[in-house]
Amino acid sequence: MFKHELKYSLKVLLKNKILLFWTLAFPLIIGIFFNMAFSDVEKNEKLDIIDIAIIENKSWSEDIIFKNAFESLSDDKNKERMFNITYTDKKNVEKLLEEEKITGYIEKDKNVNLVVKHSDINETILKYVIEEINSNKEIIETLSKKEIEENYKNGVYTIDYQKIYQEVINLINKEEVELNDISKNNLSYTMIEYYTLIAMTALYGGILSMFMINKHLANMDSVGKRIAISPIKKGKMLLATLLASYLIQLFGLLLLFLFTIFILKVEYGTNIILIILLAIIGSFAGLCLGIAVATLSKSGENTKTGILLAITMFGCFLSGMMGITMKYIIDSNIPLLNKINPASMITDGLYSLYYFDTYNRFIFDIVSLIIFSLVMILLSIRGLRRTKYDSI
Amino acid sequence: MTVFKTFWKVVKKYKGTVLLYTIILLVFGIINMQTKESNINFVGTKPDILIINEDKEGKLSKNLENYLRKNCNCIELKQEEIDDALFYRKINYMIHIKKNYSKEIMENKNPEIDVKSTRDYNASLAELMLKRYVKVQNVYKTKIKNEEDLIQQINKNLKENTTVQISSKIDNKQVENASYYFSFASYSIMAVVIFVICLVLSSFKEKNVNKRTLTSSMNYKKYNRYLLIASLLYALVVWIIYMILGIIILKDIMLTPRGGIYALNSFCFTFTSLTLALLISNLVKDKNAVNGIVNIIALGSSFLCGAFVPQEFLPDNVLKIAHMLPTYFYISSNELLKKIEVINLKELQSIFQNCLIMFLFAIFFIIVNNRISKYKRKVG
Repeated sequence: MFKHELKYSLKVLLKNKILLFWTLAFPLIIGIFFNMAFSDVEKNEKLDIIDIAIIENKSWSEDIIFKNAFESLSDDKNKERMFNITYTDKKNVEKLLEEEKITGYIEKDKNVNLVVKHSDINETILKYVIEEINSNKEIIETLSKKEIEENYKNGVYTIDYQKIYQEVINLINKEEVELNDISKNNLSYTMIEYYTLIAMTALYGGILSMFMINKHLANMDSVGKRIAISPIKKGKMLLATLLASYLIQLFGLLLLFLFTIFILKVEYGTNIILIILLAIIGSFAGLCLGIAVATLSKSGENTKTGILLAITMFGCFLSGMMGITMKYIIDSNIPLLNKINPASMITDGLYSLYYFDTYNRFIFDIVSLIIFSLVMILLSIRGLRRTKYDSI
Repeated sequence: MTVFKTFWKVVKKYKGTVLLYTIILLVFGIINMQTKESNINFVGTKPDILIINEDKEGKLSKNLENYLRKNCNCIELKQEEIDDALFYRKINYMIHIKKNYSKEIMENKNPEIDVKSTRDYNASLAELMLKRYVKVQNVYKTKIKNEEDLIQQINKNLKENTTVQISSKIDNKQVENASYYFSFASYSIMAVVIFVICLVLSSFKEKNVNKRTLTSSMNYKKYNRYLLIASLLYALVVWIIYMILGIIILKDIMLTPRGGIYALNSFCFTFTSLTLALLISNLVKDKNAVNGIVNIIALGSSFLCGAFVPQEFLPDNVLKIAHMLPTYFYISSNELLKKIEVINLKELQSIFQNCLIMFLFAIFFIIVNNRISKYKRKVG
């Protein structure tokens, strides 16, 4: 009986194109959108070469320190090249700035003046570089002066200015600042997008179980009426149909994982067993959500679908689907909201596997998902057991 | 009037959906507003950093900390929150100054500084600042042996000494917020308009309802006109609601001519979405299928055209594909409005051009829609 019911449930589900669209095709399509939209975001965050212009005047060509520094920073052989410089006159420079072809321009008279169009990061970097060169200049002056004074004090009057000057410059050039970088390696935050996609798929899977439950409700479907009066064990039958929808749901998720891993090159960290565990429990939560919506809402099938999709979409929004920082903002300001949001539990679980080396957070997410599923089942049981209808 | 009234009755059934997309927009708009401050003078970008200073007693480490505090936004977090904050770019850089840092510097050793970086623009800026400080300190320490003198000399050296003029006169942050809001609104507008209109019209086209309407005494032209007027009115209501929300969230900028252009632009977009909705409702009868199509169209065009990710970050080939969608022209007008300094006809030319293209899309949708209806009537 169980096998028979399982087989026919699978058949019913596989013949319903709209259900298959939601569970199998929709996530893949959205995945492709993500890939198109986000493939360049992180590349754009790396420091680019900044376009600037310099007004070539007498004061500029006489200032050897500035001239050399900018020439070296714009040299294309230099690995740490920062600028692409146009040397031109005042009129042209203003036009370039107006058209935003350059970040800013430098005009040197007694001081170094910087003109920019907006206050933004490239402008700030340019300003810092100018200040750094200024401060190097000052170091050279102070230290040379100090050295000369010392020579005088010690009674040395034949001073080789050139040598002192060169020594200080060498001192500055020799000084390499070493920082100990202990950053984590997995820093690609657009991965969160794909994790919300996994969460969405797992929860959208609920549409399958909802469809099957609707079929068993006497007030929803004529098949339901027939089932209600047939002399078979309802529990066993329900289990078989739910198993069928669960299997299709898992298949959809597997497809999405394969697609994201091999075609979109999404990284999930290294612990495959835990990822599978999360996928299994996450889909189970989706399944339970579907059952709960089907039994608790007394409306028609379309409204039920609408409710399920709305819950899932809003959950995904809160866990970062339409803007990754949303998850962080909710996590740090209204943590409770994401603690009861199944989409966020799944997203967070995948994130913790990707980013952290410890498993505390992952376990917390798994336990939350199990609790969420149990609550959904408990809520539904009341609606499903021993239903009686005075009239339908 | 019966048709008109029924239309709104069915719309009421879907108020939950309208509410959902509106709340999403509202949450996005409000959160976005809080992160920006307005300015017209040059204000250097300050990277968000976190400093852990274990060398509490040391004067040199205190001085380094002060320097960083002056030039960066320092954010205080608990130890366990640091990694999350770095991942989501709440902070760009973490600097860990170890115990005995100052002492070791004065002993001419090279104490290590631990850093954690997000390796993006802001992190590079923070690193630039830190390295500059350490470099100045290390060069001076070879010649200056007194701690107080060293600190004094470092601070003298690091004083800001460049004057920066800013040529742009618009309040960038406020305009940026408006552009973000309206670009994101494209998602909500599209979803709300297409979703509700398709579902409502499909209720009218249900087999039995349709049969009854056909046999009724009402002229079918009148019937269609009522439906069209009701749909137009619905789209108008959606637009007005989103404009009012815009005024509440963005405040005074909406009451300037620039705000008017934003409104005009979104009006064109709402109208185009409406014609698209009418076309889809003619093509798809199944209510469940409508759900899928709305999600694909609304999410898809939002992702491809830059509603969630600004257009400048999108790869070129994606933008080329996006040219086939009306949303692209709507959002590029929003992005243009971000840059225009003075509102005049010359500057607005390309915005009007985008509006025109949206209208052409609308006309295209209407023509296709009519063709399909004609074909269906013949076949039917």
